[in-house]
Amino acid sequence: MIEFVLDARSKVNTYVQLIQQVKQALRVGLLAPGDQLPKVRDVAQSLAINPNTVLKAYRELEIEGLVEGRPGVGTFVRRTLGGPPLADQADLRDDLVAWLRRARTAGLTPEDVIALVETTLRATLAADAARTEHASA
Amino acid sequence: MMWLTWRQHRRQVLVTGAALLVLAALMVPTGLMTRNAYADKGLAECVGVLTSAQSTPDRAEACNRALHQFSDQFGSLSMLGVLFLVLPLVVGLFWGAPLVAREVEQGTHRFAWTQGVSRRRWALVKFGFVAVVTTVVAVVYGLGMSWWAAPLTQAAEQSRFDVFFFDMQGAVPIGYTLFAVALGVCAGVFWPRMMSAMAVTLGGFVGLRIVLTVLARPHYLPQETRTFPIAGATADLSASFGDWIVEKGIRDASGTMVLSGAQANCPPDASEPGGATCRPLVEFGDGAYNWQLYQPADRFWLFQAIETGIFVALAALLLYLAARRIRRVA
Amino acid sequence: MDIALEAVQLGKRYGRRWALQGCSFRLPAGGIVGLVGPNGAGKSTLLHLAVGLLRPDAGDVRVFGRSPYDDPAVLPDIGFVAQDTPLYRDFTAAELVQLGGRMNARWDAALARERLGQLGIPPKLPVGKLSGGQRAQVALALALAKRPRLLLLDEPVASLDPLARREFLQSLMGSVTDSGTTVLLSSHLLADLERACDHLLVLRASRVRLAGAVDDLVATHRQLVGPRHDGEPIAGVGAVVRARHTERQSTLLARVDGVVDPDWTVHDVTLEDVILAYLGDGETDTTRTDWEVPA
Repeated sequence: MIEFVLDARSKVNTYVQLIQQVKQALRVGLLAPGDQLPKVRDVAQSLAINPNTVLKAYRELEIEGLVEGRPGVGTFVRRTLGGPPLADQADLRDDLVAWLRRARTAGLTPEDVIALVETTLRATLAADAARTEHASA
Repeated sequence: MMWLTWRQHRRQVLVTGAALLVLAALMVPTGLMTRNAYADKGLAECVGVLTSAQSTPDRAEACNRALHQFSDQFGSLSMLGVLFLVLPLVVGLFWGAPLVAREVEQGTHRFAWTQGVSRRRWALVKFGFVAVVTTVVAVVYGLGMSWWAAPLTQAAEQSRFDVFFFDMQGAVPIGYTLFAVALGVCAGVFWPRMMSAMAVTLGGFVGLRIVLTVLARPHYLPQETRTFPIAGATADLSASFGDWIVEKGIRDASGTMVLSGAQANCPPDASEPGGATCRPLVEFGDGAYNWQLYQPADRFWLFQAIETGIFVALAALLLYLAARRIRRVA
Repeated sequence: MDIALEAVQLGKRYGRRWALQGCSFRLPAGGIVGLVGPNGAGKSTLLHLAVGLLRPDAGDVRVFGRSPYDDPAVLPDIGFVAQDTPLYRDFTAAELVQLGGRMNARWDAALARERLGQLGIPPKLPVGKLSGGQRAQVALALALAKRPRLLLLDEPVASLDPLARREFLQSLMGSVTDSGTTVLLSSHLLADLERACDHLLVLRASRVRLAGAVDDLVATHRQLVGPRHDGEPIAGVGAVVRARHTERQSTLLARVDGVVDPDWTVHDVTLEDVILAYLGDGETDTTRTDWEVPA
C-alpha cells in the first residue's frame, strides 16, 4: 500500500497532488492492478486533510478508469496507465545512460540536462502536433 | 444530573461535615460543663422559684445570688455563641455565592449548558441540592446551639428574646441560612463573578438582618403594656422574667414619661406614711409608676416561627428570581 | 441538501456595542467550514449563538431548522468545544465520560473510551493535570461521543503546540470521515484551514465579509499586477477586493469572471492570500486620530 505526502507550499491543489502521486506510483510499478489504495479515513487522518478532498481525488481516478471503488471494502486499482511499464524499457534506459554520459563529458550540469530535455520535449511535441494537424487539414 | 451535582460538590459536603465536627468538638464539652454546673447549683429550681408567685424574698434573694454567680462564671461563654451568628453568612458565602458565579467565571458553564440538559433543569437540581444540604446543616447547628445555650439563657438575666440569644438558637438559624444561601445563589446569577456575588451576599445579608432585627422584630405581634407601682416592684420585676422588654420607663401620675429606659423599685412599705423614703416617688410624684412595653415570654416560639417564616419566604423568592434569570446569564 | 446552520441578519449586542450584526449565511451539511477573522470579530459570539448559549438580539439562527436557544431539543445534535476547552478540572477523564452519559440521552461511551485509549490519555488523572493538548483531545472526544450532526469548535488548537495541533486535526479529520458530521471550526491558523476546510466564513468587525466554497474562492480570485489604476472597470474583473498602489503600478486582488485585460499580469493566489485580502487592513483611520498620528 502506498502512502501519500502533501506539499503544502505547492500551488497545485491537494486533490491533484494525490492523483499525481497515484499515477506516479502506477508508472514506477509501486501499484499494480488489484492493489488497494489507502482508505479515505486513513489518508484524511494521517495528512490532516478534509476527507472530501481524498474522495474527490479517488472519484477523478475512477472517472479516468484507473481505479474502482467497492462499497464497504475500499478503492482498488483497475488498470495501469496504458503505456508500457517503465520496467520493460531496458533498451531505452541503456541508450539514456549512454547519452547522459556524453552530456556529462560535454560539460552539462544536471540542471542543464533537465532543461535541455524539457525544452526539446516541448518543442518536439509541439512540432508533432502541428504536423498531425497539417496532415489532417 | 444528580450524579453530576453530587460529584461536583462532594468535596464541599465533606469540608462542611468536617467543619461541623470541629464545631461540635468545641461546643459539646463547654455545653456539658455549663449544664453540669447548672444542675449542681440547683439553678433549675431557682428559676422556678423566681418565676412563681409564691417566692419569698429570702429564697428569691438566694436564688438571684446563685444565678448571678453562674452568669459571672459562664457569661463570657455566651460571647462565644455570638461568633456563631456569623455561621449562616459563612454557609451562604461558601455554598450559595459560588454555585453559579464560579461556574460562569471559570467558563465551565459553556460545557455544562451545552450537554443535553436544559439550563432550567440544571438550575433546579443544583438549587434544590444546595437548599437541602444547607437546611440539614442549619438544623444540626440550630439544634446544637439551642442545647448549648439553654443553661446560659435560663440563668442569665438576659432572656431568650435578647438580640443575640434569639438569633443563635431555635428555628431562626435555619431561616437565616436558607436566606444567605438563596441570596448567594441569586447574587451569583445576577453578577456572575465570585467576588461580586460574595460582596452582594455579605452586604445584603447583614443589611437585611439588621433592618429586620431592629425595626421589624419588636412588632411581629402587637406589643403588650404592663404597669406596676414602684413600691414593692420586685415581685413584678420577676414576673417579667423571660419577657422581652421592648421599652420601659417611669411615668408620672398623669402618664407622661419622666424617665425612660429605667425602672424603680422601693420596699413595699415606702408608700405608707412613716415608712422608708422612696426617692423616685419623691422625685416624680406620688402616683408615679413603672411602665413596660413588652412581648410575653411565651411568645418566644411564635416569634421564632414568624422570623423563620419571613426568611424562608425571602429565600424562596430569591431562588425563584434566580431560576428565572438563569437563561439570560452570559 | 440539508442546511446544517443558517443565519438570517443575525445580530448580538453587548450594551451599545454590536458584537455581531447583519450576519447571513447558509452552511450545507456534511462539509467542514472554517470560521476566520481577527480577534474581536465576533467568531466566539457567532458560535455561542449557534449552540444556544446566547440569545440573538436581532435576526435568527437555526440549526437543522430549529433555534438552539428556544428549542433545547436540538442540543443533542450539536457538539461544542468552547475556547480554552473548559472542563471540570478535578474530574478525571473517565468521570467526564460518565458525566456525558448522564447528561445526554444519546451517548456513545465506547467511542469516547476507544479514542482516548488510542490517544494514550490516562483515565484516572484529574484533567487539570493533563497537558493542553490532551485536554483538547478529551474535550473533542466528549463532543464526538454525543454523535452530533453539527460540531462547533471555538479555536480548539489556539493554545496548543504544533505537535498537539497536528494530532488534534488528525483526530478530527479521521472521525469526521466516518460520521459525516458537519464541522464549523474557528481558527487563526490559515494553513490548517486550507487543508481541512471545504467552506469558508470570513468575519471582520462583527460582519460576514465572505462566505463560499474554498475551491471556488481559489479558482475565481487572481492577483493582477499592472499600470497605475484608479478604479475604472477592467475587462474580466468582477470586483476588486484589495488594491495597492505605488506611483506607477497597481497590485489588485480581484474576483475574475472572464478573460482579463492583457495589460495586466495575472497570478494565481492561495487561499491565504484571498482570506487576508478580505480581512483587509483594518479600520485604522479612527485609531490614528486617537493616537494623534497623522494619516
